[in-house]
Amino acid sequence: MPEWLVAALWAVLKASIALAFIGLNFIFLVWLERKVSARIQYRVGPYRVGKPHGWLQLFADAIKMFSKEDVMPAAADRWVWAAAPVVAFTPAVLLFVILPVGPNFGVQPDFNLGLLFLSAVSSFTLFGIFMAGWGSNNKYSLLGAMRAVAQLMAYEIPLVLAVLGVVMLAGSLSLQDIVEAQKDYWFVFPQFLGFIVFLIAAIAELNRTPFDLAEGESELVAGYFTEYSGIRWGMFMFAEYTNLFTMSAIAASLFFGGWNGPILPPVAWFLIKTYAFVLLAMWIRWTLPRIRIDQLLDLGWKFLVPVGLFNILITGLFLV
Amino acid sequence: MSLTREPAQELQLDPRLGDRVRVEDLGGGRQTMVMSMGPQHPSTHGVLRVVLTLDGETVVDAQPDIGYLHRNWEKIAEYMTYAMTVPFSDRNDYLAAITNELALVQAVEKLTGIDVPERAQILRIIFSELQRITSHLLWFGTFGLDLGAVTPFLHAFTAREYCYRLFEKATGARFLYGYLRIGGMRNDVPDGWIEDLLGFIDQLEREYWPGFMKLLVENEIFIRRTKGIGVLSREDAIAYAASGPVLRGSGVRYDVRKADNYLPYDRFEWDVPVGENGDVYDRAMVRMYEMLESAKIIRQAVKELPDGPVMAKVPRAIRPYGEVYHRVEGPRGEVGVYLVAAGDTNAYRARWRSPCFVNLQLLPLLARGHLVADLVAIIGSIDIVLGEVDR
Amino acid sequence: MSLLADIWKAAKSVVVGHAVTWKAATRAPVTVNYPDERPDLPKGYRGMPVLKTNLETGELNCTACGLCARSCPVNVIEVIEETDENGKRLRRPKVFNIDMSRCMVCNLCVEACPFDALEMANHFEIADYSVPNLIFNKEQLAEIWKQYDAVRLAGGEKP
Repeated sequence: MPEWLVAALWAVLKASIALAFIGLNFIFLVWLERKVSARIQYRVGPYRVGKPHGWLQLFADAIKMFSKEDVMPAAADRWVWAAAPVVAFTPAVLLFVILPVGPNFGVQPDFNLGLLFLSAVSSFTLFGIFMAGWGSNNKYSLLGAMRAVAQLMAYEIPLVLAVLGVVMLAGSLSLQDIVEAQKDYWFVFPQFLGFIVFLIAAIAELNRTPFDLAEGESELVAGYFTEYSGIRWGMFMFAEYTNLFTMSAIAASLFFGGWNGPILPPVAWFLIKTYAFVLLAMWIRWTLPRIRIDQLLDLGWKFLVPVGLFNILITGLFLV
Repeated sequence: MSLTREPAQELQLDPRLGDRVRVEDLGGGRQTMVMSMGPQHPSTHGVLRVVLTLDGETVVDAQPDIGYLHRNWEKIAEYMTYAMTVPFSDRNDYLAAITNELALVQAVEKLTGIDVPERAQILRIIFSELQRITSHLLWFGTFGLDLGAVTPFLHAFTAREYCYRLFEKATGARFLYGYLRIGGMRNDVPDGWIEDLLGFIDQLEREYWPGFMKLLVENEIFIRRTKGIGVLSREDAIAYAASGPVLRGSGVRYDVRKADNYLPYDRFEWDVPVGENGDVYDRAMVRMYEMLESAKIIRQAVKELPDGPVMAKVPRAIRPYGEVYHRVEGPRGEVGVYLVAAGDTNAYRARWRSPCFVNLQLLPLLARGHLVADLVAIIGSIDIVLGEVDR
Repeated sequence: MSLLADIWKAAKSVVVGHAVTWKAATRAPVTVNYPDERPDLPKGYRGMPVLKTNLETGELNCTACGLCARSCPVNVIEVIEETDENGKRLRRPKVFNIDMSRCMVCNLCVEACPFDALEMANHFEIADYSVPNLIFNKEQLAEIWKQYDAVRLAGGEKP
């Protein structure tokens, strides 16, 4: 076989494994979220479909989502409305490209612009959200989309600033190199401030409580995806949960040594650390009330950005 | 694909609300947006509809539109005998059935001059206060939901379930009890009920209440979301005839329990919690502390609970004559019943003074100038039950 | 310094909140898995009004006096007294229907009854796909009471 064909087949294989994992991971995360929230709230959660612990609920949810009626509002902006879920969904999947799952293992972990790619692609979700809000021709959706724009702009910057500290320490934008640089110690210790900024900004970036203003179910019904149902709604959910997983994986890689760890194989360490962050995000979601839009922007611009800059300053001074 | 919208039409947007709702030009190419919030909105607590005029996300005007749950209590009460009206009054403020029944039953007792046995009086206090706790627990949960925290809701419901098991044991129903009768109570509390009640009060004071404070009320986000929002001045509160925690949140120390002493509340030592600034936070704190005060009253009342009958001798058919207005302090404020009796077994005219209806008037006043998110918090802090607003 | 104090206070309040949810997550759920686990109903629970039977004679206690129907606030009780061919009243119900689709289980009919013929049973699972099925006639009402009473006589409190 010619070399390019091998490379192409290899890429297809990798992509299909990654996609299969993403799909299964999504329904697992939905189930996990339901279970975690249930236990926090003295409930049992999914229970009836499949024993033990309602594990078949995973598939029941997925089937339900696929088979529900796809309702389009009469006054919607057809194409914008229809394209929005895809636009929101694609970057979520794309981000898997840079995840370092193990030493030289992953879709493309040694991508030398990894973190730049991260910030570029993750902000792409914003287009999907805004298209959804605009295309729905619904006032709640529009408000949700407006909020999302303001919010994601405000939190993209602290996120990048927080990541910069790590980049300075590792001297590389590639996640592969950053993880390898943490063989001896985790970057969370020198970069604790950066980690806190990253954590807050990442949760805001993910649109999860306490920063779920774009959805804000008690204020805006369901925000930008009020008018969506069935599989289109599912694609937004897919984007949300896949982003949650990706962000957790990146947090684990940047600050907690990624796949580095004793005894267990690297992939296991990667998954353990990632799911620990996923659980942390869920724990936070089911504990805190929602912040208000002006406070959210205050927190982003007036607190996280200065702290992020301060962190870079300190890191720079230490490096010098 | 079009990036411009058609200009706002020059038609009346909401015929029911007349020209109070219209698109206004704010200058500089900006227009207000009219948004209908409810009646199927997640945080309008039932079927309230608020027609919002928004400038971006800032509320320019908020007009509540009510009547979706109208059940005609007043007319029904004129066609039923007094005893038959009791289960209907349950359904006015369905979260505080006992205080509703109490208002009606005591009004009829006032008319007919029936003396209620002491044990029934004290039991009525215990049940009213327990009802106040359940109602405030539900308020706490839904207020958490309004602010985007889901967990407090289910934690509050866990505590509330404990309460409702107590109600179930004593009255036979969980929600709409039909427990009070003209002249007393339907039945005495079962054996061991008092111990269960004290167990609940213990758990509320020791575990639930501090947990709620830590989980939600002391949280920095909660404080920032509620402090300085929806400020109701002392004067406005009085002028709008607000009552209950809404009034007390504005610093007016007024409680029908103290003012009228319609049940022997003066035997017990308890405080009326009041706020200072009249904002959402103060109203919330008033309710939180009222739970503890109610617990305190229950503790003392249980000690003073005498033996004896719970029902006075009441003739089978009551035919009073005269008119009466009786008010009690419900969890949401002053619940009043006005009856005109013309010597028949049913009232000639009945009127229900609903605290929620009166407090809801405050919404346009409180909401103006705040964000949509604050509006939700304000609606939550007024603590309306649409069943009672519409009656 | 006050800024740092504020941050410390805010962070502390957030952590304290998480401690509460952590504690909750380690507790056992309070859910009653209803069809698998039965709710523990107390003795006087009002499920629906039913007709009592005199177990010695096998006849209903009801004398068809109609007081329950008159005391019912929502008019769900229909009583017609049985008569023989001469028109003599037999003091027992020919028809005794309770329309459970509208009944609000207020207990007033039980209190109105001077012959101890009505009782509130713990029976609460009366949901049906059609409203006419919710109109219970006297045989059904007596049957529910017998089931409920048999459990009670055996010492149990559940329906």
